[in-house]
Amino acid sequence: MKDDELICRCEEITQAEIKEAIKFGLKTMTEVKRFTRAGMGLCQGMTCGRLVMGILARETNQPLSEVKPCTSRPPVRPVPVSVLANRVTDDDQN
Amino acid sequence: MGRTEIAVVGAGPAGLAAAIEAARAGAQVTLIDENERPGGQLFKQIHKFFGSEAHRAGTRGVQIGRDLLKEAQDAGVEIRLNTVVYGLFAHHCLGLVCGDHTEDLQAEIIILATGASENALAFPGWTLPGVMGAGAAQTLINIHRALPGYRVLMVGAGNVGLIVAYQLLQAGAEVVAVVESLPCIGGYGVHASKVRRAGVPILTAHTIVRAEGENGVERAVIAQVDENCQPISGTEQNLDVDTICLAVGLSPLAELAWMAGCQFTYIPTLGGWVPVHDQDMQTSLTGIYVTGDLTGIEEASTAMEEGRLAGLAAAETLGYLAPEEGERKKAQVRELLATLRIGSFGEGRAVAKGQIVKARCEA
Amino acid sequence: MRIEDHPILGKAEWGRKITLIVDGEPIEAFEGEPIAAALIAAGHRVFHYTTKRNEPRGVFCALGRCTDCVMTVDGQINVRTCVTPARDGMVVKTQIGLGQWEDLQVCGEKEE
Repeated sequence: MKDDELICRCEEITQAEIKEAIKFGLKTMTEVKRFTRAGMGLCQGMTCGRLVMGILARETNQPLSEVKPCTSRPPVRPVPVSVLANRVTDDDQN
Repeated sequence: MGRTEIAVVGAGPAGLAAAIEAARAGAQVTLIDENERPGGQLFKQIHKFFGSEAHRAGTRGVQIGRDLLKEAQDAGVEIRLNTVVYGLFAHHCLGLVCGDHTEDLQAEIIILATGASENALAFPGWTLPGVMGAGAAQTLINIHRALPGYRVLMVGAGNVGLIVAYQLLQAGAEVVAVVESLPCIGGYGVHASKVRRAGVPILTAHTIVRAEGENGVERAVIAQVDENCQPISGTEQNLDVDTICLAVGLSPLAELAWMAGCQFTYIPTLGGWVPVHDQDMQTSLTGIYVTGDLTGIEEASTAMEEGRLAGLAAAETLGYLAPEEGERKKAQVRELLATLRIGSFGEGRAVAKGQIVKARCEA
Repeated sequence: MRIEDHPILGKAEWGRKITLIVDGEPIEAFEGEPIAAALIAAGHRVFHYTTKRNEPRGVFCALGRCTDCVMTVDGQINVRTCVTPARDGMVVKTQIGLGQWEDLQVCGEKEE
């Protein structure tokens, strides 16, 4: 897999960009995500997550058991802001 | 905010089974799924399951899905479809997306049965239209009756790869080859035989090198690999295909379990990071249970039994089952689970599952 | 191609036949099926072009997660066609990059 091939399909991030971030000194999935945007696209890392973990493990010489996924935060699926802003509680129903 | 006694997230075989057991014991159960119909992967499985009668051997996954759905409805489970659990917050509060608004659901016990998703394999040309997950092809042909292509290369000879290759043949496609990077076939012999008898070559120690095409897949280049899974130069072959299916494993969909703060352990044979749980399927957090493929990639039959175990344990915790009756029923399910984890394929999973429970006890 | 007759599933039972307008051309669909299914059955494989590299993308996961199947549907961008039911007369466009909002709505009110 050449370095100019895509790893993150949504944000179109290449293997080279991910390796560069790791060379820069970033050691965790969350850091790599924030620096490169890999995992920040519409699919939120669903497709590239495991691939990036593999690259991180190889480049930092760690076993996969030491590479935890990105911090998981809500929402776990893309939700339109208009929907999040429309929270229905019991009070509204009274 | 809404309240329920037991919230089950995910209405695949594990979630449905958990909801049915808990509701039959008398608990108030809310079963939530992001899709417009429940059943998870069952509705794509048109092949007959095997095992014992207790495990619905001889029945197609599609029918099992219908049966479970009816049982859940009959047991009085509240089923909320097209509903996404977007977050798991403090005090067992679930955030739900329901169409155009969000709601909160407070549960005494949460059972996560969110299943797994297909892994990706990156190679030059993997983003071309025509490259898709094997499960994606299965959804298109078995549920939507749309053929994604006419000439297919299947990457991966595990059970998913072999089963979907055969189903593509049934749907009218030509499967040009199945490639498997390992030196041996990972799936059951019975599936491999069906594929071979249909004239499809299964090339072990081979991988896909690249996909080529202008606006979609027109060609695949495969090659033999060495013991480090690296392509051996000079062994490249061009295959005239328009579709490349990736069947390279599944990984648990564990975002909610991570978010809640559950403890995890890494077990490659089960799909990587899995939440630890005890013999009752309870995680390191009291009141949060996990079940099915989320706890390790296995099969629909183990998912159903694990679901039952979690449902029974949750109902017992809430007092709907007396301790002796609860223990007796759980022991029966654990025995059934043990019979599913035998033989050359099952033993490895039994050991791996034992590691999960051990990790939980040491937590 | 549609799988009309299947050795296990039997003869297909289709819903009401409808028409989608895809990039100006009519494409036959069945009411309620995912837009992507109708397009795939009609041999239509390119669903959108990416923002940076302008590369073609199509169906990848078919479950509504990978978002490679997004198109602009009835003026709305980033619609996941593999999980969006087809309705008669839907206007479906191959999306270029992030697409163009055609009917900008702010909190449900149309901009004047």
